[in-house]
Amino acid sequence: MVKKITIFTTNTCAYCVMVKKYLDTKGRNYEVVNLDEHPHRQAEAMKLSGALTVPVTVVTKHDDSQEVIVGYNLAKLAPAVA
Amino acid sequence: MSQVQKIIEYGADWCADCHRVRDIFGTQNIAYEYRNSDDPKVHAEMLKLVNGKNEIPVLLFPDGSILQNPDNTTLLKKLGVKVDGQRKHDVVMIGAGPAALTAAIYTTREDIETVLVERGVVGGLAAVTDKIDNYPGFADGIEGLTLADNLRKQAERFGAVIDLGEVTAIVDQGQFKQLQTSDGHIYARAVLIATGSDYKKIGVPGEKEYYARGVHYCATCDGAFYRDKHLVVIGGGNSAVQETIFLTRFASHIDLLVRSSIKASDVLQADLAKMVKAGKVSVHLETSTNEIVGQDNGVTKVVATDNKSARKIEFPTDGVFVFVGLQPNSQFLAGSKVQLDEIGLVKTNQRLETAIPGVFAAGDIRSGATMQIASAAGEGATAALMIREYLEAKPHPIQN
Repeated sequence: MVKKITIFTTNTCAYCVMVKKYLDTKGRNYEVVNLDEHPHRQAEAMKLSGALTVPVTVVTKHDDSQEVIVGYNLAKLAPAVA
Repeated sequence: MSQVQKIIEYGADWCADCHRVRDIFGTQNIAYEYRNSDDPKVHAEMLKLVNGKNEIPVLLFPDGSILQNPDNTTLLKKLGVKVDGQRKHDVVMIGAGPAALTAAIYTTREDIETVLVERGVVGGLAAVTDKIDNYPGFADGIEGLTLADNLRKQAERFGAVIDLGEVTAIVDQGQFKQLQTSDGHIYARAVLIATGSDYKKIGVPGEKEYYARGVHYCATCDGAFYRDKHLVVIGGGNSAVQETIFLTRFASHIDLLVRSSIKASDVLQADLAKMVKAGKVSVHLETSTNEIVGQDNGVTKVVATDNKSARKIEFPTDGVFVFVGLQPNSQFLAGSKVQLDEIGLVKTNQRLETAIPGVFAAGDIRSGATMQIASAAGEGATAALMIREYLEAKPHPIQN
């Protein structure tokens, strides 16, 4: 069961828009961390993802385990938020 | 409740959901009568049926039952149509970039039921382009993301449905084309292939290993991670120059490696020259990239060759952005009857129809296309008109 979804985004990132669109179609609530507005959280996104890219989607389950999806990857995102 | 002989739809011309239900009536060959609720008398008549709840469309069935703005599944069930895995559409568009979205505006405005299937970004490559200065109608240019969003909204306004998924094959079954997708099979009377292209890889060592950890293909996505850092951009066309200029917002310095000479527009080259003069960009012509080198989790340098002297050069860098051209998204057509040219682009006749009757192509995926957003939109509109002619010439299939 999904407890929380956080997406790290930037203003110009089109793939970030697609992740949000997908979650909207599934009726999922999520928190957006815009790295253009909060550049100090870039290090957090990089540490979670191991990558220098957005979107980074962090799905926290009810047991507090986390699954991190880098990029717009429906094959991974869909089962993670199901 | 008075008995009626066919479904009565209370709706409005501006109402996207009204177009949607009419599309379903059309696909399923259902007789209906449209009553425009913008007419006050019709509106009053409608409100009486639904106890004053003002939401359209309102559907009054011959058995006296009423549905108010039903979703597709509910409506199809009421119509007695099997809904699992046998969805039949007027037209399915593979891709939702500028070509398909423009085509969808045209088809849905004519109540041709239209579904677009998109595996990536709605808006295609236009959506990931920082600024578009040569799409007509925008005197000061427009951000790619904004243009993509506008196209999407316009298509959805008339009832186009965009499904997020992937088409993996097309099979010609005559009256219907079967499309195999990531969510099962769907069927369409006509198909538009508008899958466009993706950015090419260079194909050098280190490129794959450091993908997203120092090697990138999307400046608008990842440029922000390189604030005050040193970058290498590889490429010499419009995209390479455009995105280099975009990246100067973040990077302290950019080395632009161009295999031969720059082949970008004069306007872009002039803007690049300003960046060079300001010391933000150094351009290296006749320079071929050989390897991307890194350690731990990051890129440290690019090794290249000066083509004139054959001398090896190293460019220390914190990240690499690659813009070396496009490759067509036509792999899913292997094994189909659609013909491809030697590059993998879809061959069409003058009506934009492929070797499969009823299957059309438009935009960057089409052989002979000029790879511009404006021409993609134009081809999308043309393809839509061809699709309309094709559908009008065919007898409407009747559901069992």
